[in-house]
Amino acid sequence: MKLQLRPPDTRQSLLLTLAFGVVGAAFYFGVIEPADLNLTAAHAVLEEQIVRQRTVLDDLAQKEIILRGLNEKSVRRAAYDVGLMTPLLESTAMRAKALIDPLATGCGLINLEYEAQEPVALPVFGLAAQEQFVREPIRITCRGSYQAAVSLVRCVEKRFELVSLTALSVTATADPELQQITFVFEWPMKKGAVR
Amino acid sequence: MKAPLHLNLLRPSERVSSSPVRFRVMAPIFALFACVGLVIWWAILVGQLMLTKSMSGRIDQELVQQTNPHQEIIELMAEANELDAQLEQLDCYRKSVRRVGSALGALAEVMPPQVQLVTLSMPPPALPEIAEPSTGYVERTTFSLVGRTPQEQPVLMLMRSLTAEPFTNLLEVCQHPEEGIVSPRVKAFKQDLPKKGEEQRKLVFDIEYLVQERRFTP
Repeated sequence: MKLQLRPPDTRQSLLLTLAFGVVGAAFYFGVIEPADLNLTAAHAVLEEQIVRQRTVLDDLAQKEIILRGLNEKSVRRAAYDVGLMTPLLESTAMRAKALIDPLATGCGLINLEYEAQEPVALPVFGLAAQEQFVREPIRITCRGSYQAAVSLVRCVEKRFELVSLTALSVTATADPELQQITFVFEWPMKKGAVR
Repeated sequence: MKAPLHLNLLRPSERVSSSPVRFRVMAPIFALFACVGLVIWWAILVGQLMLTKSMSGRIDQELVQQTNPHQEIIELMAEANELDAQLEQLDCYRKSVRRVGSALGALAEVMPPQVQLVTLSMPPPALPEIAEPSTGYVERTTFSLVGRTPQEQPVLMLMRSLTAEPFTNLLEVCQHPEEGIVSPRVKAFKQDLPKKGEEQRKLVFDIEYLVQERRFTP
């Protein structure tokens, strides 16, 4: 028996087309669109990973440069440690006394008294460091001649690179060799070094 | 009788068009092709998704392997930033350090013998107001000379001497009265009270100079 394929009539054609249309639409909305959304999401994740990897590779490539820069900065920073004020048994006045007394006595000043003043903050220009610094003024009163006072200032400036004279008072007394002298010398110090 | 025989071999439905391709045949075929196309499209999407996920997995693995070395770099960079911030403050302080020893030493040399200096005073500057972050601040103080002299000439000589090196490192000499900046400023110049043993009354002077500002800036 020969199978004869007869072309569909109009009604059959319409039904077939409609059936394929429904299946196609269902397939598009139920399968293709979710797959497309998954693909878009997967692309976004991949892009983010590529960006992250690029950053990581750039950072790793900079390792030598970072290390070299870090070494230079460490050396520069260490050079400051010598000039920083470090309290002696929690007292910056006693540390100043230990540093200045030998010079002052050598210059001929007597009756030296040391008093720590309130630290003054240094400005923070950008991001604050974990370790910050302040200015620690130390007030020194003594007696001696004006020349002795000037000698002490010169000695301190020569010996201590980071010490600055912020205040000075010389008041004459009956004895011109024994003026009443007050200095305020200032050191840089780590913030919180003295509680 | 002879009559023509009319044969109508075409069915009524076939009389609509002379084309051999009927729309009622092609429509389902097109619909079928569209469905097949959708399946192919889906297959491509699945293929791309598998490829993307495979690449993503590979990059993820590499990132995991690079985590420790990268963490080291992050720590080094943080350490470098910390040192930068510390050095910024310390360099700012270093730039502000003032050397006054030579000026003070020279003062004794230029002091006229007729001038008896009673008080030399450079008071501590006022405490600055600092916000964080800051653009820095500037400190100012004064330098006062109070003394006694028999005449005004020695004082004028002294003031003239203080306009030259090395005093310019310490003292500011300027006259801007419209801005309220006058240095030196003669706060007093008058006769002193008579003192026992003195033949003539001396003159008392009080002269104030502005000290060069001390800048705490980056």
